[in-house]
Amino acid sequence: MPRSVHAFTAAAGTAMLAAMLATSALAADPLRVGVPTDLSGTYATLGEEVMRAVRFATDEANAQHGVAGHMVEIKSYDTEAKPDLARRQSEKLVSEGYTILTGTIASGEGLAIAPLMDRWGSIYISTINKADELTGANCVPRVFRVNTQSAMDAATVKPWLAQRKEKKWAVVAADIAWGRGSGALFDKAAAGLGKEMVADLYTPADINDFAPYIEQVKKSGAEGVWVVLAGRDAVNFAQQAKQFGLTRTVTVAGVSFTTDGTVKTLGDAAEGIYGIINYSSTLDTPENQSFVKAWTAKYSSPPTNFEGETYLGMQVLFQAVKQANSVKPDDIAKAMSGGEFDTILGKLKLRAEDHQLLKPNYFGVVEKVDGVLRPVVKTTVSAADVAPAVTCKMPS
Amino acid sequence: MLIQLLNGVVYGGLLYLLSVGLVLIFGLRQVVNFAHGALFMIGAYIGYSVAAAGSWWGGLVVAVVAMAIAGCVLDATLFRALRKQDHIVTVLVTFGLLLILETLVTVIWGKAYLRYPMPDLLSGTVDIAGSPFPVYRLFVIVVSIVVALSLASWLRFTRIGLYVRAASTDARVTSIQGINVDRLSLIVVGLGTALAGLSGVVAGPLLSLSPTMGNYILIDSFIVVVIGGMGSFGGAFVAALLIGQIHNFGAIYLPWAGTMLPLLLMVGVLIWRPTGLSGART
Repeated sequence: MPRSVHAFTAAAGTAMLAAMLATSALAADPLRVGVPTDLSGTYATLGEEVMRAVRFATDEANAQHGVAGHMVEIKSYDTEAKPDLARRQSEKLVSEGYTILTGTIASGEGLAIAPLMDRWGSIYISTINKADELTGANCVPRVFRVNTQSAMDAATVKPWLAQRKEKKWAVVAADIAWGRGSGALFDKAAAGLGKEMVADLYTPADINDFAPYIEQVKKSGAEGVWVVLAGRDAVNFAQQAKQFGLTRTVTVAGVSFTTDGTVKTLGDAAEGIYGIINYSSTLDTPENQSFVKAWTAKYSSPPTNFEGETYLGMQVLFQAVKQANSVKPDDIAKAMSGGEFDTILGKLKLRAEDHQLLKPNYFGVVEKVDGVLRPVVKTTVSAADVAPAVTCKMPS
Repeated sequence: MLIQLLNGVVYGGLLYLLSVGLVLIFGLRQVVNFAHGALFMIGAYIGYSVAAAGSWWGGLVVAVVAMAIAGCVLDATLFRALRKQDHIVTVLVTFGLLLILETLVTVIWGKAYLRYPMPDLLSGTVDIAGSPFPVYRLFVIVVSIVVALSLASWLRFTRIGLYVRAASTDARVTSIQGINVDRLSLIVVGLGTALAGLSGVVAGPLLSLSPTMGNYILIDSFIVVVIGGMGSFGGAFVAALLIGQIHNFGAIYLPWAGTMLPLLLMVGVLIWRPTGLSGART
C-alpha cells in the first residue's frame, strides 16, 4: 500500500475521532455532584435540608436543559456526621464519577476529606462547615467555602456582646472541631471586651442528658451563655435548659442553635434566644425574593437557613461551570477561585487567597411574627466588615 | 451536689426502665434484642401522637398497651422461633427489625425532630437546695422506683414471678416441671416491650423525638445489662443507677473521659466478675 494511502487513512481516522469527540461534547457530559451528608446522625435534619436544597437547585437547572447544556446528576451517601465515614462515602462518590463534592455537615468531615481532593481529582465546596481551618491553616487549592466561617460569626457577635451589660459568660459547645473553634473565638472576643468567662463546657457526641452541663452553667454564676450546638443537641439542650429555668434567668445566644428548623420544633422554648443568622428567607434582595417565591411554591414553606446556604453553594457552582464552560473539576476550580457570582445575597466574591466567599452575616433573636416564632434579623453586618483575615498559605 | 445526684438518678431511672425490658426478654428467650431501642422510640411516637391530640396521660396508657400487644406478637412470631437459633442469628434478625421499624417511623412521622409536650401538672419547677429543679424529672424518678418495686415484688411474691425466675434460670428444666414456658414468655416479652414503650413516653419530654433516638440510649442500656449481669433484675437496677451517676459526675469532674467511663467500668467488671455484678443465674 502506497504511503499516501496510509496518510489518508490516518487523516480520516483523526477526523472521525475529532468528529466523535465533537459530538460527545455536544451531548455534553453531565455535571455530577456528590453529596456526602448526615442522613441519620445527630445532624440528620440538617442533612435533610441540604438534600432538599441540592434537589431544588438541580431540578431548576435541569428544567432549563442543564447548566450550559450539562445536565446535573446528584447522588448522596449517609455520613452520620462522622469524619471517617465521610471520607469513605466521599471516596465512593468520587470513584463513581461524582467528582464535585458538597454538603457535609460537621467541620470534621470537611477537614477529613479536604486533603484528599488532590489525590482524588475532585473538588469540595463547603456549604455548612464552619471551622476556620478549612480555609485557614488547612486550606488547599481544591476546597472552597461559600458559607460563613466561625471567625465571621465571631466578628458578627462582637458588636452585640459589647453593648450587653452581662459581665460573666459561659460557653456550652459540641466537643468537635466546630464547637471547639467557635467556643475559643467567643472566649477571645469576650476577653477583648473585658467580660469574664466563668465556664467552658464541651459536650460529647451522642449524649441524651444535658442536665450536668445546665447545672454547671447555673453554678458558675454566668449571666450569659454562648451555645454552639446544632441539630439534635440543640433541641435537647434548649428543651432541658428551659425545664431547669435556665433560659428564664440567663441570657442565651448561639450559633446554628436557634435555626429555622430547631425553632419550629422547640416552640416557646426558643423564644427570646439570640443568635447568628447566616441566611434568612426574609432578606430583602430581589434575587432572594424570587428564590423564596419559587421555593415556597414547591415546598409550601419558606427555605430555612441551611437550605438557603446550600442553594447559594449550588448557584456558585453552576455559575463557575458556565464561566469555565466545562464540568472538569480543574476547570471549575479555576473559575471559582477569585470569581464573582450572582447569588441570592447579591453579587459576592470568592476570595482567591483562601477560597472563602465573602458574604454578609446577620444577628437576631427568636420572636413571634404574625403569631409564629422564628429567628428575626436585627442587625446586618456587611461582607467587608466580617471578612476574616487571610491565614491561608495556599499550597501550589 | 444534691441536684447533681438527682440528675444522675433521673438518667439512671430512665436506663433502668429500658434495660430491665432487655433483661426480661433475654432471661426468658435468650434473645439479645437489638430492636429494643426502636421499640422505645415507637412507644415515644405513639405517645406523642395521642398527647398531641390532647391527652398526655392517654398517650402514656395507649403507648404502653400498644407496645405490650406488639411485644406479644413479636414473641409469638419471632422470638419463639429464634430461641433455638444461634445468638448471632438473633442479633441479625433483631437488628433487621430495628431498621424496618426506623423506616416505618420515618414514613409515618417523618425525620424532623418533634417536641413531646409535657403534662401541665408536671411542667413547673420546685426549689431544691435553693435551685429550681424540674418537677418532671422528679416524676421520672418516681416512675422508675414504682416500676422497680412492683416488678421486684411481682417476681418475688407471685406464682408467675416464681415461674419467671425459674425459667430465666433454666427454661428446659422449668418446662419439664409442667410449666408452659411459651405462654410465660408471651407475658414476659409483652411486659418487657411495654416497659420500653413506657420509658419512651417518659423520656419524650426530656429528649427530642427522632427515628434514631433509640440508638443513642440503647448502648448505655446494653452496658447496664452487662454490668448488672445478663438476666439479673436486681443487678440491672444497681447498674443503671451506677451508670446514671457516672454519666453525671463524669461530665463534671472528668469531662475529657466522660463518655469513656461507662465502657471502662464495663471492661473492669467483665475482668473482675465476668458474669456481672450479681453473678450468673445459670
